[in-house]
Amino acid sequence: MEPTSSASIARQTWELENNIPAAATDPDAMDAIYRYDDSVQARAQQEKPWANDPHHFRRTKISALALLKMVVHARAGGTIEVMGLMQGKCEGDAIIVMDAFALPVEGTETRVNAQADAYEYMVEYSTINKQAGRLENVVGWYHSHPGYGCWLSGIDVSTQMLNQQFTEPFLAVVIDPTRTVSAGKVEIGAFRTYPKDYQPPDEPVSEYQTIPLNKIEDFGVHCKSYYALDITYFKSSLDSHLLDLLWNKYWVNTLSSSPLLGNRDYVAGQIFDLADKLEQAEGQLAHSRFGGMIMPSQRKKEQEESPLAKVTRDSSKITAEQVHGLMSQVIKDILFNSVHPSSKASTSAPDSSGPEPMVEA
Amino acid sequence: MSAPSDAAAAVDTPAPTTAAAASSGGFTFKLHPLVIVNVSDHHTRVKAQAACSGDSSSSSSGAGAGQPPRVFGCVIGVQRGRTVEIFNSFELVLDPVSGTLDRAFLEKKQELYKKVFPDFYVLGWYSTGSDVHDTDMQIHKALMDVNESPVYLLLNPTINLSQKDLPLTIYESELHVIDGSPQLIFVRSNYTIETVEAERISVDHVAHLKPSDGGSAATQLAAHLTGIHSAIKMLNSRVRVIHQYLVAMQKGDIPVDNSLLRQVSSLVRRLPAMESQKFQDDFLMEYNDTLLMTYLAMFTNCSSTMNELVEKINTSYERPTARRGGRGAFM
Repeated sequence: MEPTSSASIARQTWELENNIPAAATDPDAMDAIYRYDDSVQARAQQEKPWANDPHHFRRTKISALALLKMVVHARAGGTIEVMGLMQGKCEGDAIIVMDAFALPVEGTETRVNAQADAYEYMVEYSTINKQAGRLENVVGWYHSHPGYGCWLSGIDVSTQMLNQQFTEPFLAVVIDPTRTVSAGKVEIGAFRTYPKDYQPPDEPVSEYQTIPLNKIEDFGVHCKSYYALDITYFKSSLDSHLLDLLWNKYWVNTLSSSPLLGNRDYVAGQIFDLADKLEQAEGQLAHSRFGGMIMPSQRKKEQEESPLAKVTRDSSKITAEQVHGLMSQVIKDILFNSVHPSSKASTSAPDSSGPEPMVEA
Repeated sequence: MSAPSDAAAAVDTPAPTTAAAASSGGFTFKLHPLVIVNVSDHHTRVKAQAACSGDSSSSSSGAGAGQPPRVFGCVIGVQRGRTVEIFNSFELVLDPVSGTLDRAFLEKKQELYKKVFPDFYVLGWYSTGSDVHDTDMQIHKALMDVNESPVYLLLNPTINLSQKDLPLTIYESELHVIDGSPQLIFVRSNYTIETVEAERISVDHVAHLKPSDGGSAATQLAAHLTGIHSAIKMLNSRVRVIHQYLVAMQKGDIPVDNSLLRQVSSLVRRLPAMESQKFQDDFLMEYNDTLLMTYLAMFTNCSSTMNELVEKINTSYERPTARRGGRGAFM
């Protein structure tokens, strides 16, 4: 059939351009990752290649199921931070996350680590799952930062350092469900901390993200003590087959989603925050006008942007998201609102079996 | 896990416990994609483990190359009136000897899930396979003391590339009189897919393996518009199908079906979707707000650029003051 073959060619070209390995389309290779080999894991535990190199793990692969569970749990928490654990295994320099489950604790920003009943829950859940065929071990934890970005706060950093001392290999994942909905793409970050006295090589900051003013201090103080891992996703052959078919059903949801309506609070908060940052930037600029003579020597060393440039970036990002939302609304309006039934001008008897002709406004 | 495979060793005859008729229960089922991915993952895991252990052992056990083992689990969610919304699911263990579900395990799991999701109740159970089995009714009856009318979700894990529909069916149990005695049989029900916005985005993300980093504004815009474009394409194709059907009916190729015509007519009459003045006002207000934001953002952008320009001019055209190196800075 013409459409499907051209669609599949387009998909293959896209995959090639985006370096999706061929194994991603071969069903056996895709499913091979689901095998859990006890001996390999035990050997890895013995060797501990991560003990010598703080930068050992560079990538993480998250399964479709784990991602879905984490995002749904994070979103269900609303504006409260939620947390949970991830199960999986490690392979070379990658940590593979197969599954995730939620923990019954809330608001961990004020607590150093999960309380006793969370541990109990974790132990019970893990043992029960082994019976049901989930053989992997806990390999990390995730929590949500609703509305303020994917990074590790001071408490998160200390929790993760503790975890990395005692329960290696361990990974920290942060999800922002509010920004996910607002931006239309998943906001997620995977991190590992450096050990206490390690001096990391100076890496460029990977992706800029806006941090609200009240959290920016916390971010700045600790942002050098951890590094981000590359995230890729994988799914089984059955998963991809089902997801393809699922599209036949939920295109309706895609069309009917309205991010503008759902995220009003968040957008208002962002604008408010932006105004504060602008004021701050203005204050800093006022100084530099008088110190303009002395500034030039510093300017050459300054690789970072001035506060005003940062504010500009933030404002563009917020606006772009709003405009996207508005575009969807306008498209829907054109599709569904700009047709009207024509008035029954003809004198012939109304035909009850046929619809009235629709006329474009 | 060879336990479920032994249970499945029973011959795969189409069970007389299924009726071809659609359910008349009046329940509307809503299914979240998370459940589908859950069941599929469970099945893949078990299949991979079975293949792994099957390779190492020399003798061939009952299950193996031919038939992947069946997996069983429980579905949980919320029931409000006649709407049943299935949110999540978890695995269950099947007792190989008696062929019934491990009760203690179910209770334990239920407790754990209740702590994290206090609103969800056990709504039914799921399994994989191509058709309903004889033993399924037993399991179904066993679950009836947890929920008076449990649902049964069956997923067909065989990948059939030609099929267009989800290989997932939802069965309810109904009491029908067959051969003079009332019996419980499974009847199929319809269901719709329901998603939360965040769920939809992550499913989309994984389904199409979009590049995960931000990219420039242009790629983000392209991604957003592509999504909407594909949805509209689907809408268009569906509308075309209806159109073709109507044309054929007009020409006389297909017998006239009045109930279908009524449905199409009511569908068409739903346009325009919104025609009140209040809607127009609110819509325009939203539009203006967004334009205002764009305006402000443009302003910020311009002032930032101006600022940089001014600073650069200041730096390159410094007046020669007390600083000795000043003159050299003249461009």
